[in-house]
Amino acid sequence: MTTPPLLEVQGLDVEFTTPDGGGLHAVRDVSFTLRRGETLAVVGESGSGKSTTALALLGMLPGTGRISGGSVRLDGEDLVTAGEDRLRAVRGVRIGMIFQDPMTALNPVLTIGRHLDEVLRAHAGRDRAAGRDKASRGDKATAGDSADPRTGGDSAVPRSGRDKTAPRTGRDRAARRARAVELLHLVGIPEPERRLDDHPHQFSGGQRQRILIAMALAGEPDILLADEPTTALDATVQDQILTLLGELTRTTGTAVVLITHNMGVVARACERVLVMYGGTVVEDGPTAEVLTRPRHPYTAGLLAAVLRLSAPSGTRLVGIPGTPPDLRLPLAGCAFAARCALAEDRCHTALPPLVALTDTVRAACLPAAERAEPLPPPVPPTPLDRPAPGAVVLTAEGIRKTYKGRGRRSFTALDDVSLSLAAGETLGIVGESGSGKSTLARVLAHAHPADAGRILLDGRDVTRPGRAELHSVRRRVQMVFQDPYASLNPRMTVGEIVAEPLRAFRVGAPEERPARVAELLRLVGLDPAAADRHPRSFSGGQRQRIGIARALAPEPAVLICDEPVSALDVSVQAQIVGLLTDLQRDLGLALVFIAHDLAVVRQVSHRIAVMHGGRIVETGGADELCERPRDPYTRALLAAAPDPVPVAARPSVARTPEAVSV
Amino acid sequence: MTAQTAAHPPLARKPRHPYRAALATVRGRTGLTLVGLVVLAGLLAPLLAGHGPTDQSGLALAPPGTPGHPLGTDDLGRDLLARLLHGIRADLGIIAVAVPLGAVLGCLFALAAAAHPIADTVVQRTFDLILAFPGLILALAVTAVLGPGRLPVILVIALAEIPVFGRLLRTGILVQSGREYVTAARVGGTSGRRILTRHILPNAADPLVVQIAVSLTVAVFIEGAMSFLGVGVRPPEPTLGAVLSQSMPYLAQAPHFAAGPLVTVTALVLGLSLTAEALNREIRR
Repeated sequence: MTTPPLLEVQGLDVEFTTPDGGGLHAVRDVSFTLRRGETLAVVGESGSGKSTTALALLGMLPGTGRISGGSVRLDGEDLVTAGEDRLRAVRGVRIGMIFQDPMTALNPVLTIGRHLDEVLRAHAGRDRAAGRDKASRGDKATAGDSADPRTGGDSAVPRSGRDKTAPRTGRDRAARRARAVELLHLVGIPEPERRLDDHPHQFSGGQRQRILIAMALAGEPDILLADEPTTALDATVQDQILTLLGELTRTTGTAVVLITHNMGVVARACERVLVMYGGTVVEDGPTAEVLTRPRHPYTAGLLAAVLRLSAPSGTRLVGIPGTPPDLRLPLAGCAFAARCALAEDRCHTALPPLVALTDTVRAACLPAAERAEPLPPPVPPTPLDRPAPGAVVLTAEGIRKTYKGRGRRSFTALDDVSLSLAAGETLGIVGESGSGKSTLARVLAHAHPADAGRILLDGRDVTRPGRAELHSVRRRVQMVFQDPYASLNPRMTVGEIVAEPLRAFRVGAPEERPARVAELLRLVGLDPAAADRHPRSFSGGQRQRIGIARALAPEPAVLICDEPVSALDVSVQAQIVGLLTDLQRDLGLALVFIAHDLAVVRQVSHRIAVMHGGRIVETGGADELCERPRDPYTRALLAAAPDPVPVAARPSVARTPEAVSV
Repeated sequence: MTAQTAAHPPLARKPRHPYRAALATVRGRTGLTLVGLVVLAGLLAPLLAGHGPTDQSGLALAPPGTPGHPLGTDDLGRDLLARLLHGIRADLGIIAVAVPLGAVLGCLFALAAAAHPIADTVVQRTFDLILAFPGLILALAVTAVLGPGRLPVILVIALAEIPVFGRLLRTGILVQSGREYVTAARVGGTSGRRILTRHILPNAADPLVVQIAVSLTVAVFIEGAMSFLGVGVRPPEPTLGAVLSQSMPYLAQAPHFAAGPLVTVTALVLGLSLTAEALNREIRR
């Protein structure tokens, strides 16, 4: 490791100006280095400053953001002081970027060929303009690193057009097309020549992310910044994309900075990890070391809060109590001190520096620097005493739902789905996007009508209820939504939102409602004073609690939770899952728990149904299904679920489905 | 049970209403000041003018600064300041009735459209029909039936604004009714009417406020154009457009004749546009 670092970030500070004129210190004193061909994970929860750091590297801070201190050196050149022209030459050519949502990042009216052609043309033009500069820089870079793969990877490319002083456009276009085919081939799109003329909607989500990676690679960057590249993708597709990124690093020598909130992705794909919290780096070291022996209490807490596939059903994890710090306030001590169980007095007053604890691991924690023994291991998941399920309350038989598309095409979202649910029981429904699980939730909650089949509630047929009957069904079956931001009316106060079902179902007299609202808010762990405020002043986890309070208001028998935790941070997920389990025990609720994350579903459910293509492919007891899956699709799902265990520490056969149960 | 307090401390300053914040910006203040000055001039016209708008004197086309006639007189010897101030008064009277009328009717149509698919189609095609007529053709057609005067001007402006507001609110309702909180309210048992009035409309109303400021600007133009063409308010009663129209033959020898209405219309339109822009920026944030 004698090569100089490719990217060196020193004391980076980023500030935003809030609309009311205050300052928001989003990134505080962040320092790290990146070497050629290295994969670095930047992990943290929302608001930790990980995305802002990435954008700051390229001078692409949105809105009022500005770099207020520090330096970003790329091969010794400071990018913070560089002009906009220089930065434009760096973007794409030296540092490429991949964004989170592959569905919206491609222009739907342009073919994939046009997308790639545009990127290639932009780079070709810039190369001609800055040709000499790039050549000399390339020499310098390769001098220290004889195995620079950038030169090797290029040899097969017909690029004669680019070197001509007056290139003819026809030859240029053919060369670009050839290069585009090559790029698509590189990222694993089958039949690239033919698919070049297809439009984005003809590709799946995973393929679109591959195309975006191809576009980022078009300028042959030294560094690839990937901001949550797999968050919007299904587990099996996420697995493929991570494998692809790994292969690209090996074959092209591109260094990757992977920004993620998912510890499983870190373990799966990265050599080194940088843990961020409240805008600061709290820990930095090799993945295997950090994941197995975390030095900073936050890292340890984060790891303990991650649901593992191996955790049996009916256990409980401890989330990290409290909420992340308010970045508008100045930071006196450690950002994590307020939530840290091991905090000492000095943690609240003195800013902990990021110091090397061993050769490779750095941590910003005052007590950790003196601690010799590892942090206490996380409390093992504690089994809960769950009452046995009671009588069957909800039954669905042969539910079918078809959406009419444009023209004659139609889409079968639910195909002959049958299930039953008992009081006090949790039925987990797991599947990837498009498997019909959200449609099932909406059909069961009578938000959409079913096309065929029967729904029985307490033995009564309620498939097509009349107006009055629908009202009584809705009182018994309530729903918790996925997106805690979209599912609360921004113009109503929390009190009004929670009181809305009380009013609709005429529960209690109007003057008793405020007391009932306060009681409900306390039930979901919120301060009753929250009733007077609007949803916007709450965090995601708190909003989800408000959504749960609203669903509980009419005292339902069945609660349908559609991805209730997938929009939340890891440490908050554990809190909400715990809340739902407690509520079920105390109120005897029947829960339908829908998620794409098998680990969460296994933990909360008595039984699991696996959905694929609108059908239930397998049902069974939660532990039974996860340990002895019968359907091949269930096995694939289990194999793709990323566990936060370093690759080295896994049994070598861990990728085969049979071994997952170990 | 996970005991959790509402951990976000209440902010020291209560966030201001976005409209108030918008109007407090430099843009918003400038706009409001300009509009305020013009409106004040119109309201106080009888006090400020000193002459009646139709009183004639012996001086024809007197230059500005003539004693007793600070802005001079027109070709018939009428005081220009008095005509300008009363013109503003007449204009404001028209747009203050016409634009809210158009907005209310447009919103009612949009609500009808939201109620039933058939009503939606009918309303949409009606809007298309109105929009198919260019504004001035519509103005001429209406005056051909009703004759010139104040009422046709109000009617034309209101007619022109109905589809604008109607489409805006209809789009807003469609967007909001697809949002998850509406599904949540439906599953929560809230009735259809309450969902519309309590959940959808408050969230769809923001663009309408901006549109009112924009439409007032358009209304000033329509009134001016109609009076200019002689199909507006009947002379000798002054409006901004009528004074401007009257000044046209004398543009070479008495440019001050046209200056008053031109400056006023510019100030009013600029003020309204700035206000609309300020509101729009704040709302879209």
